[in-house]
Amino acid sequence: MSAVKAKRALLRILGALLVIWAVATITFFVEAGLSGNRAEALLNQMAGTTRSVERTPAELAPINREYGFDKPLMTQYVEYIGGIARGDFGRSYLQHQSVLTIISRQVGPTIALTVSALVLAWLIMLTRIVVTARRGRFLTGFGSGVEIVSAGLPTYWLGVILLVIFAIDLQIFPVQGETSLVGLVLPAITLAIPLSGFLGQVTRDEFEKVLEQPFVVSARTRGMGDLAVRLRHVLRHAVLPAITLSGWALGALISGAVLVEAVFARPGVGNIIVSAAQSRDVPLVSGIVVLVAIVYVIANLLVDIAYTVVDPRLRST
Amino acid sequence: MKLLRLSLSAAVLLLASVLLAACGSGTDSASNVAHTDGPAATASTKPVKGGTIYYGGEQEPPCLGRPEWVQEAYIDRQVLDSLVSIDDNGKVIPWLAKSWTVSPDGKTYTFKLKPGVKFTDGTPFNAQAVVDNFNYWYDEKTTNYSNLGEFPFYKSSKAVDDLTFQLDLTHPYSPLLQTITQAYFGISSPQSLRRSEAEICEDPIGTGPFILDKWNHGQNLEFSTNPNYDSAPANAIHQGAPYVEKLIWSFIPDPTTRYGSLTSGQSTAIYDVPTQNWEEAQGQFNTYEHMEGGKPVTLNMNTVAGPFADLKVRQAFAYGTNRKADVESAFNGAVPYAGNGALTLTTPDYDPQLADAFSYDPKKAEGLLDEAGWTQKNSDGIRTKDGKELTVKIVYAAGAVITQEGLTVLQDIQQQAKQVGFDVVLVPITIEQLFSGAYSKPNKFDIIAQYFTHSSPGVLWAGVRQFNQSMFEPPALLQATEEAVSTNDPAKQKAAWYKAQELLVKNAAMVGLYPQPVLVAAKPELQDFWLEASQGEPVFSDAFLSQ
Amino acid sequence: MSVATADPPVLRRGLELPRAATLLRPGVILAGLVVAFFVVAAIAPALLSSGDPDKINLDAVLQPPAIDHVFGTDQSGRDLYTRVIYGARESLLIGFGATALAMVLAIALGGVAGLAGGVVDGVVNRGIEVLFAFPVLMLALLFVAVFGPSVRTEIIAVGISSAPGYARMIRGQVMAVRDSGYVEAARALGHPYGRVVGVHIFPNAMRPLVVVATLGVGQSIVWASGLAFLGLGVPPPSPEWGALLDAGRDYITKAWWLEVMPGLAIVLFALSLTTIGRWLQRRLEGGTAR
Repeated sequence: MSAVKAKRALLRILGALLVIWAVATITFFVEAGLSGNRAEALLNQMAGTTRSVERTPAELAPINREYGFDKPLMTQYVEYIGGIARGDFGRSYLQHQSVLTIISRQVGPTIALTVSALVLAWLIMLTRIVVTARRGRFLTGFGSGVEIVSAGLPTYWLGVILLVIFAIDLQIFPVQGETSLVGLVLPAITLAIPLSGFLGQVTRDEFEKVLEQPFVVSARTRGMGDLAVRLRHVLRHAVLPAITLSGWALGALISGAVLVEAVFARPGVGNIIVSAAQSRDVPLVSGIVVLVAIVYVIANLLVDIAYTVVDPRLRST
Repeated sequence: MKLLRLSLSAAVLLLASVLLAACGSGTDSASNVAHTDGPAATASTKPVKGGTIYYGGEQEPPCLGRPEWVQEAYIDRQVLDSLVSIDDNGKVIPWLAKSWTVSPDGKTYTFKLKPGVKFTDGTPFNAQAVVDNFNYWYDEKTTNYSNLGEFPFYKSSKAVDDLTFQLDLTHPYSPLLQTITQAYFGISSPQSLRRSEAEICEDPIGTGPFILDKWNHGQNLEFSTNPNYDSAPANAIHQGAPYVEKLIWSFIPDPTTRYGSLTSGQSTAIYDVPTQNWEEAQGQFNTYEHMEGGKPVTLNMNTVAGPFADLKVRQAFAYGTNRKADVESAFNGAVPYAGNGALTLTTPDYDPQLADAFSYDPKKAEGLLDEAGWTQKNSDGIRTKDGKELTVKIVYAAGAVITQEGLTVLQDIQQQAKQVGFDVVLVPITIEQLFSGAYSKPNKFDIIAQYFTHSSPGVLWAGVRQFNQSMFEPPALLQATEEAVSTNDPAKQKAAWYKAQELLVKNAAMVGLYPQPVLVAAKPELQDFWLEASQGEPVFSDAFLSQ
Repeated sequence: MSVATADPPVLRRGLELPRAATLLRPGVILAGLVVAFFVVAAIAPALLSSGDPDKINLDAVLQPPAIDHVFGTDQSGRDLYTRVIYGARESLLIGFGATALAMVLAIALGGVAGLAGGVVDGVVNRGIEVLFAFPVLMLALLFVAVFGPSVRTEIIAVGISSAPGYARMIRGQVMAVRDSGYVEAARALGHPYGRVVGVHIFPNAMRPLVVVATLGVGQSIVWASGLAFLGLGVPPPSPEWGALLDAGRDYITKAWWLEVMPGLAIVLFALSLTTIGRWLQRRLEGGTAR
C-alpha cells in the first residue's frame, strides 16, 4: 500500500476515534450535568421508596464511594474515558454487572437483525429496480409507487401488522422468535421494507439517469441484451448513492431495532437502551451509545471501501 | 403516476385493515375451568411426568435474588421457599416452618423448622440459615430496603437449636406472619448470599421446587426441576419434586405478542392476559385470577398542599368521578372496582362497608366545591378561586404500574372531573422516577396513582409510617395502626384495621380505583397449576402436562 | 466521507417559482388535497368535525366503524375520527417544527462548513459526524428521558437528530455550487460576497432540499410516533397521532381501527407530502424533467 494511502487510512482512523471520543464525552457531561444528585436518586431508586426521603451524607457515603460520585467531575471524566479506552465501561447502576457483560450478551441478536435487514433491503431493492426501472409507464410507476409507500411506513406499525397476520393468525412464523433463524424473518422484513423503499428511491433516480448515459447506449448498439446491460453496466453506477447511504442506514436500523425488538419480544440492545435511558443508568447508557458510535464508524469505513471497490474511478485517488 | 402511487398505498392499507378485521374475533368453545386462588379442590387426573412448561411472563427485572418488587417476587418464588404460606381463607399455614409460637408481648416469634431440607447447592437448611437470611436483609451494608419497608422492627434473630429459629422484634407487629409469606422473605442459601452482588442478582439459590439454570437476558429464564424438593407449602397438592422437567419463563412485555404466544401454542400459560381478550380466553383456556392484597391502585391525594389540602375538595373529586363505571368499562369487566381505596378485597381484615364510599354524585361534588369556596368558573368551565384555577396534577408511572386499561380509567376520570370543574393534568413518569420518589414532594403532585401489593393489612401501617404518599397522618390514624400491630387479639386487630381504613377512606386520603390483578390463562393440558394466595405467584410444583 | 455522485447542479438566478398551470397531474392534485385537508384539520379542526375529541362515552366503548362513528370509537368511547382530526395539530406541529429546526441547524452547520472550507469545514464536519453517530431514536430517547415528554421536547429531539443528514447534504451542495464556474464568474465581475451567497449559492444549494424537507416532515412524524410507541410520546389525553398509535396497539386484534386509522393518517400525509415534494423538485429542476 502506498504511503499516501496509508496516511489517508491513518487519518481516517484517527478521525473515527475522534468521533467516538466526542460521543462518549458528550454523553458523560450531559448525564452528569442534568442528573441532579445522582447518589440520592440512585439510593432512592434502589430502595424503592416511592416517597422521596432526605438522605444523610452517611447514608449516601457507600454509594458515593462505590461509584465515585464524590470525586471532582473532571477526575470522574478522566477515569471514565480511560476506562473506555481499556474496554471497561464500568458497572451498571441497577444491574450490578459490568456494562460490557450486559451489552455483549444481548448485542448478538441486534447485530443479526440489523445486518440481515440491510441485506434483505438491498435484495428487495435491487430486484425491484432491475425489474421495474424504465420499463414502461405502468411498471415503472408501480415500482416507484411501492418504494414510496414502503419508505413511509412506520416501522412498529408495520411490525405489529405483520406479527398479527403472519405469526398470530396464520401461524406461519413463531410469535416469539427469540434467537432462531425463522424468528428473524418477520423482524428483519419489518425493518427491510421501509429501508428498501428509501434506498430504492435514491437508486432509481440514479439508475434512470445512468440508463441514458452514452456508454450504456453504445453497449446496447453493440447488441447487448437489456437485462445484461442493466446488471453489468448500469447497476454498478446506480448503486453508489445507496452504498453511501448504507453507512447511515445502519445507524437508522439500530434505531428501528429498538422498536422491532419491542414488538417481537426479541432480545437485543434495543430494549436495554430504553430502560437504561429511563432509569438514568449512566454507565449502561454511555456504553450503548459509544458502542453504537463504534459500529457506525466502522460501517462507514466499510462503506468507503465498498465505494472504491464498486466505482473504479475512485481507486486511483 | 402519482395517482397510481396513492391508490396503491390506499389499497395496501385497506388490505391490511381487512385482513386484521377478518382475523379479529374470538371463539367460544368447550367448557373450560376458571380458578381463583389456591390449588383445585380435587386433582382430576393422575399426574404425568416430564415435559416443559413455557410460561409467558411480562416484566424482566434488573436483578433476581433480592426481590423488591412483586414482579421479581413471582420469579423468585420458583426458587425460594418461605417460612410460612397463606391459604385463600387468609390462614397462615406451614411451609419451611412446621409450627410456631408468638410470645405474649408480640415481640418474639419461635419457629420449629422442617427437618431434612437441603438447599440446591447442597448446604443444609437449618435455623442458622434463616438467621443468616434475616441478618442479610437487615444488615446495613446489604440492606434489602423492601424488607425494611415491610416491617422495620427487626432486632435480632438466633438459632436456638438446629431446627428452632427465634426472631426478636423491637416492637410488636401483628401481621408479621402474613408478611413473611411473601417471596421477599424467601430463604436463600447462606453460602449463596456470601457471593458478590452481581452473582446473587444473577442466580438465586434456595430450597425451592426449581433451580435456575440460565438467565438469557432479554429473552427468558431456564429452570430445571429440583429432584430433591420436599418442602411445598401445606396447601400444596403434593409434597415432592415437580412433575415437569423444565420451566421456561419468557419475558414478553407486549400484550398482543404475549397473548399471541398463547393462542399460537408457543406458551403453555401466560401472565397478565389483556383484559379485552379475557372473555374469549375463558372460553378457550383455563383461566386463573387473583386480586393482589395490600393497597389497590388508588388515587393518593396530597393532603397537605394544593387544592386537595381541603377535605371538601377531595371529597368533591371522589364524588365527581364515576370510578366504578370507568373501571368496569376499561377492564371489560375482568377486574372489580375498589371503592375502598385503602385495602383490597382479598386482604385480611378488609372492610367491605367502605366499598360504597363516594358513589358517583356530580351534584354533591359541585355542592362541596361551592362550599369550599371554588365558586367562580372560567370560560372553559374550570372553577377558580381568588384568581387561581382548580388545576390538579395526577402523577402516574406508565408500564407495569399503570397499564393501558389503568390509563383509560385515568382519562375517563379526567373528563368526568372536568364536568364538575376540575382541570386535571395527567403527568406520566417512568417507573424509575416513581421508585426514586422524584415526584413525591408536596409541591410536585396533587394525586399519585399507585398500588402497593402486600399480603396483610400491615400495608396500612407501612403506608402511613413509611410510604405515606398522601401525607395524611392524623393522630387517630397513627393510633389505630399502632393498636392494630401491637395487640394480640384478632378481634381488636380487626377493629383497629377497620378504623384505619375508615379514616383513610372517609377523609378521601385514598380514593380507590381497582385492585392490582393477576390474570393467567393456560392451555387445558396444564393441570394442577395454581396461584398462591400470598402474592398471586404462579405455582408450578404440582403442575403437569396431561396427554 | 465522500459526497454522493451528482450531476453538476443546474444553476439559475434566484429562486424561480414554478410556472403556474403547467401539467398538474391528477396524483399531485390528490396529494395536494390530502395535505390541505390535514392542514385545515390542524388549523381549524372544528370545520372538519363537530365532535369533541375528549368527550368520553362509556356506553359506546370500542365500537367498530359505522355511520355515526366513521373511524369507530376507542376505549373511552371517544370518536376516533374526531381525535385523528384534532391530533393533526400536534402531529403537524411536531413534523414541521422538527424539520424546520433541523433545517435551521443544518443550514448553520452545513452552510458555514461549505462556505468556509479549510479548518472550519474540518471541525464542523467532524461535529456533524458526531451527531450522526447518535442514531435518531437514541438521541431522541435520551433527550426525552432527561426532559420529559411533551410536544416541545419531541420537536427538539427529533429536530436535532435529523439535522446532521440535512447538514451534510447542504454542505455538499454549497461546496459544489461554490466551486462552480458560474459563481467564479460572478465573483470575478466584482459582485459582493454577500450578494453572491444570497442570490446564487443559497437558492441553488437549497433547491434539492425541498423534496428532502417534505420527506422529512413525514419522517419526523413517524419518528415521533416511534417515541410514543415506546411510551415516550406526548402525554394523554392528547390525540397526537403517535399517541393514538401507542394507545391502540394493545387492541389490534380486537379493535383494529384504533391502530390502523391513525397509522393511515400518518402514511397518507407523509405520502402526499412526498408526492408534492417530488413534483416540486421536477418543477424546480426543469432541465432534468421527464
